[in-house]
Amino acid sequence: MLLTTLVLGLVLGGTYALLALGLTLQYGIARIMNLAYGEITLLAAFILVFLFQGLGIPPLAALVLIAPAGYGLGWLLYTVMMQPLVARSGSSGRLDVDSILATFGLLFLIQGVLLVTFGANFTSISYLDRGINILGVSVALNRLIAFAICVVVGTVLVLVLARTRWGLNLRAVAQTPASAPLVGIDVNRVARQGFALGTALAAVGGASIAMYQTFSATDGVVFTMKALVIVIMGGVGNVGGALLAGLALGLVETFVATAIDPGLTLAATFAIFLGVLLWRPQGLFGKG
Amino acid sequence: MLEVGNLTVRYGKHVALDEVSITVGAGEMVAILGANGAGKSSLLGSIGGRVRPEGGSIRYSELDLLSLPQHELVERGIALVPEGRGIFPGLSVSDNLALGAFPARARAGVVSNRDEVLALFPKLAERRNQIAGTMSGGEQQMVAIGRALMSAPELLLLDEPSLGLAPIVVQEVFAALARIRTTGLTVVIVEQNARATLAIADRAYLIQAGRITGSGPAGTLRTDPAVVRAFLGGAAMEQT
Repeated sequence: MLLTTLVLGLVLGGTYALLALGLTLQYGIARIMNLAYGEITLLAAFILVFLFQGLGIPPLAALVLIAPAGYGLGWLLYTVMMQPLVARSGSSGRLDVDSILATFGLLFLIQGVLLVTFGANFTSISYLDRGINILGVSVALNRLIAFAICVVVGTVLVLVLARTRWGLNLRAVAQTPASAPLVGIDVNRVARQGFALGTALAAVGGASIAMYQTFSATDGVVFTMKALVIVIMGGVGNVGGALLAGLALGLVETFVATAIDPGLTLAATFAIFLGVLLWRPQGLFGKG
Repeated sequence: MLEVGNLTVRYGKHVALDEVSITVGAGEMVAILGANGAGKSSLLGSIGGRVRPEGGSIRYSELDLLSLPQHELVERGIALVPEGRGIFPGLSVSDNLALGAFPARARAGVVSNRDEVLALFPKLAERRNQIAGTMSGGEQQMVAIGRALMSAPELLLLDEPSLGLAPIVVQEVFAALARIRTTGLTVVIVEQNARATLAIADRAYLIQAGRITGSGPAGTLRTDPAVVRAFLGGAAMEQT
């Protein structure tokens, strides 16, 4: 029973961690709190279903298409929608409020498009849903694949940020944007890359959710909220913190669902959220 | 090499610079001396692209600097070490130096530039994995100057490198500047520490309330009674 909770919780937490990574990158690097994040996740989920059911492309191959498309979409969104806001705000700090309002609008725009295109019904695909025995617990293979995607993508991301030249540029802009032009970094360009990278992670997260979970066009807000809770738990902009907090949230939700009541998972999430905001607003793993 | 013409900088109603003109020749070290709030940092910030002037021109080797965004200046060989240093305090010393070599012009010479910087500031070699923000003010200043040198600059702009440093550290920083000077790099330095600056500079401009009030070779200015009174603390001037 405890082992079941642990295995299922970690598998769920992997997806949460991946979703939160994208959101924390977007805020950490581009300083944009993207409330339409969950809708982008859903968009990718619907596209995976379409590619699989409509065109017969296997989900893993579809993922390879969806990830760069997500980067491209993020790049476009930043260029068309965010850049004017960034240019207008200058160093006034208005970007926080403006980006929340703008992406709040984007949320309903994408949701409307999803409802018109894919309808309001619950959607799911049947993909590798036979059980696999992990430490005596039966876990669906599709969930394990989704978890493996999260582990691989999360590891690659952490390595890229920590070890590569590009990762160093992203970290420099995330930590001290005012110093970046002094070494010749175009902050706007790097912010656009960070936003696009975050969007690509949202897309990968959404595509892996579609492999094992039932979803509908109005579920986006829940994804955004959970990602936001994890980001704040992990410390805003803290990549390692988001990974750990994502896994923790998966464990807590699974524990609450099995030991208390499945209807209370969202309540448990927000209880944690409030607790963190009240007592550790810098995040569980933040400094201070 | 560098020509600043009739530069005017305004912050709201306050005129920080009023039609200031200076020239700096290739390989020269030119000091801008003045009291707090005289407009030194506005002048240097304008050359380095941090401050957007209201009027005037800044030309650098046939290039109109005012038409370029700040981040492109580094690519053209202009490195600014601003007041407050502008390092990445959350990153390690070696990451800070690596970021200094961001411009394409600096990539080829990364290894030899790093060796030169570490020879100039041996402390940075010892502390290469330390997070820059946890270092002392003097060490952070070394990181800032070292990072600027990593970009293989032709023109180095230094804004008050000795500000807030202990006297012994100031000596260390100025000794490094004197060595940098011998490499043929063109340097514009803004300082309140007029004595130490005049000892290593070729020429200096005096700036008061946003206007240039005097200029000349460093050696002449050091013995000019008016300069001594205004900038060098009167009779305390050392005999050189």
